[in-house]
Amino acid sequence: MKSAGWVLWLILAGEVAATAQDSAVTWSHQIAPLVYNNCTTCHHPGGAGPFSLLTYEDAKRWGTQMAAVTSSRYMPPWLPEHGYGDFADERTLTGDEIALIAKWVQTGMPQGDASASPAPPQYSETWQYGTPDLILTVERPFTLPASGTDIFRNFVLPYPLQQTHYIRAMEIRPAVPRIVHHANILIDRTASFRRAHPAQWKEGVPGMELEVDTGNEFDPDSNFLFWKPDTPVLVEPDGMPWRLDPGNDLILNMHLKPSGKPETASAEIGLYFTDQPPSKQPMLLQLEHDAALDIPPGERSFVVEDALRIPVDVEVLGIYPHAHYLGKRMEAWATLPDQQKKWLIVIPSWDIDRQSVYRYRSPVFLPKGSVVHMRYTYDNSSANEHNPHTPPVRVKAGNRSEDEMAHLWLQVLPVHVPAGSPDPRLLLEEAWMRNWLNKDPRDIIPLYNLASALAAEGKYPEAIAIYRRALALHPGEERTLNELGAALENSGDWQQAQKMFLQDIAAHPGTCNARFNLARSELKHDQASDAELQFRTMLAECPADATIHSGLGAALDSEGHADAAGAEFHAALQIDPHDFTALYNLGGLALQAGQPQQAAGLLQGAVEQRPKDVDARQQLAAAYALSGRMSDAVVQLREAIALSPANPDLHAQLSQALASTGQLEQAIAERKAALHLRADDADDWNNLGVLEARAGRIAEARGDFLRALQLAPNHAQARTNLQRLPPS
Amino acid sequence: MPMIALLRTGLLALATTTTLAVDLDGRPVTQLAPAGARAVVLFFAASDCPISNRYIPEIQRLTRQFESLGVRVWFVYPNPGDTAKVVRAHDQEFSITAHTALDNKQTLAQMAYATTTPEAAVFIPEGGGLHEVYRGRIDDRYLALGTERPQATRHDLEEAIRAVLAGKPVPQPGGPPVGCSVVTLQP
Repeated sequence: MKSAGWVLWLILAGEVAATAQDSAVTWSHQIAPLVYNNCTTCHHPGGAGPFSLLTYEDAKRWGTQMAAVTSSRYMPPWLPEHGYGDFADERTLTGDEIALIAKWVQTGMPQGDASASPAPPQYSETWQYGTPDLILTVERPFTLPASGTDIFRNFVLPYPLQQTHYIRAMEIRPAVPRIVHHANILIDRTASFRRAHPAQWKEGVPGMELEVDTGNEFDPDSNFLFWKPDTPVLVEPDGMPWRLDPGNDLILNMHLKPSGKPETASAEIGLYFTDQPPSKQPMLLQLEHDAALDIPPGERSFVVEDALRIPVDVEVLGIYPHAHYLGKRMEAWATLPDQQKKWLIVIPSWDIDRQSVYRYRSPVFLPKGSVVHMRYTYDNSSANEHNPHTPPVRVKAGNRSEDEMAHLWLQVLPVHVPAGSPDPRLLLEEAWMRNWLNKDPRDIIPLYNLASALAAEGKYPEAIAIYRRALALHPGEERTLNELGAALENSGDWQQAQKMFLQDIAAHPGTCNARFNLARSELKHDQASDAELQFRTMLAECPADATIHSGLGAALDSEGHADAAGAEFHAALQIDPHDFTALYNLGGLALQAGQPQQAAGLLQGAVEQRPKDVDARQQLAAAYALSGRMSDAVVQLREAIALSPANPDLHAQLSQALASTGQLEQAIAERKAALHLRADDADDWNNLGVLEARAGRIAEARGDFLRALQLAPNHAQARTNLQRLPPS
Repeated sequence: MPMIALLRTGLLALATTTTLAVDLDGRPVTQLAPAGARAVVLFFAASDCPISNRYIPEIQRLTRQFESLGVRVWFVYPNPGDTAKVVRAHDQEFSITAHTALDNKQTLAQMAYATTTPEAAVFIPEGGGLHEVYRGRIDDRYLALGTERPQATRHDLEEAIRAVLAGKPVPQPGGPPVGCSVVTLQP
């Protein structure tokens, strides 16, 4: 009896061992690789995760939780439904992987052969992306209370430099990563948020949403600047850096969760610069319908929708859906012109704590005429565990966390832009603002932005009409007056324009923009001394700005004070090395001073800033020609002619440059092109004659000189040339 | 809401010499209920469990509120990694001044049937022993790992303590405790 039992036990043990060998799940073989690939970017010492999973001992401590949160798909955090948009850095486990973790935990979390375990990944204790070029730090950290609801706080970080920089990457390092759900950065071009909260901004301002004043230039936000625990570094794609100018602020909006003890809420932002300005210009576009948010208490399925027709071909690069605590299901899709439905994202169960920007693995092409739709469903019943109100109350849109939002942001890159067409982002802006106005016809923001887009597209009469409509609703509004003035100026009605600027300055004496535009108008209309006065007032009263210095330089130049002008242009370049006016005019001054090589360097900079500026290319060609770089001059002149084919001067200059490099036939063709545009130019005929003579076509040359003399009987050169011609 | 007068009928008859746990100086804890106590609350905590830590202010609030009414609150650390040194540093970090017990043999966890941190148990002193009348979550802020209300709507533990003090039937938790499993002791 005894020995039989012993034998039986041995057999059973043998069977167990065999099974374990076949399919044992161990840390070293299966679990460590899975954890290192999916978990440890957050779960490492000092990381954003609440505990580390780098070692076997760590993982064993948390094994039971790992099995629970992976099977419920709470971890890794990922909200979008698979198959509705193909996203980069999609972080999900397969069913098999989840089963593997469960089995490992059930079988006692064996380590296996420790020597076969992969080496744990290394995480820097400081900057993951290396030493930044500039570090901004929250000036006064906020003490997050030990307990209570989550807190949303906005910290202002002024950009301290006096030069413009392009940012190719950014890293955010919260002082205590564990307490940060996520963070968003906004660029405040006009420091408007700081000015709106003068007593408070240093401590941070509470609030989930904020509005900033984007200023007068059409300069739409281009990049999502979003931090989440597993993505501390944001590296922008090639050619798409973002920009910071002197006077800009970064606003860091942090979603903070109390930890049980008072915590220091602070952060450092590391910026990595590039010298290369953007070669591609994406834009952030918004769908929203906050006005429709009026959700009765108890309502379980309240739907909010918006749709936006896209007026140009675009690639969608990223998407950022946003609601607060009542949001449940989020859908976004595009209906293509052929009625095909293309999903952009589906989030079946929204959770604000895990919100994120999602970037597409490859850009999603939407042809012109596609319509982007958003459809959000809200649950304001007590069955929604996220409901901030017990019992539920009526909820509308607002920036407190207990209010709601219905926003969908897209990062789009216009593609297939026909040569010579206006900035496609203006068409996107126009479509966006028209859509907004349809929802709220009296809102000053879309009225103003629509008019600005139209003005920038050169549609001045329509822009002027919309500015006037905005002024009728909001009389005396500083910026609208100024922009109406600018549109009038550009439409040619500069007298009316100057009246608007003066009206704006009289009503708002501190205004810098109207004064700047008035000064520019005066400069343009031979009122240089008036312009000088305005620029000097601005230097005393307005924030340091490269364009004020370069404007003053241009006024001084017009008044004949070349040295003083040069000093102002240099001051402008100190602030912004890319200031076009300063580069262009300094280049011109260098040409006049007989320094063509120096001029070429400056004018190259000007052409980089405004590749479509014909004058700049023409001046650069002259600088090259005078430096003996004839083939470079030819290239610039050809570019200029592509931009302005009906300009005879350009053809004439190209002819000259070609002739000096021995390309006689092409030079003749260009001189003829010039004459085709201005047949009565005696110099051109004379020069054509010279070229024909060199080519051995004496009869033609004679005809050309005679034609020159016919147009200008006293043309000495033509007469001499004619006399020197050998008999034909 | 389920109302059960007594969760478990078993009494813990404890002789004063029985070592239940140790304090931070290694001295045995033999008596959970001081003389005259009307209730004993054990708060099962883990120094490395985020949800457990997030409940510390709430437990301290309850301690302040009910201490003078005869309620003795203990922070109980059942995990083997929570040594005296670790817990002392943790108590200091979180400004915990309450009575602390290291449940190094998990005697208290077994006595209370606690499996999770954070989890609370309420006992009534009865005939020289302790009688468990409540065990479970502190409130309903966490419904599952990853499912969290912006704030609690039901304070289960507080309701239980109030019921005990009022001599009323003790309401039972409306949902499971959510947090980190108590780590099994290695033999």
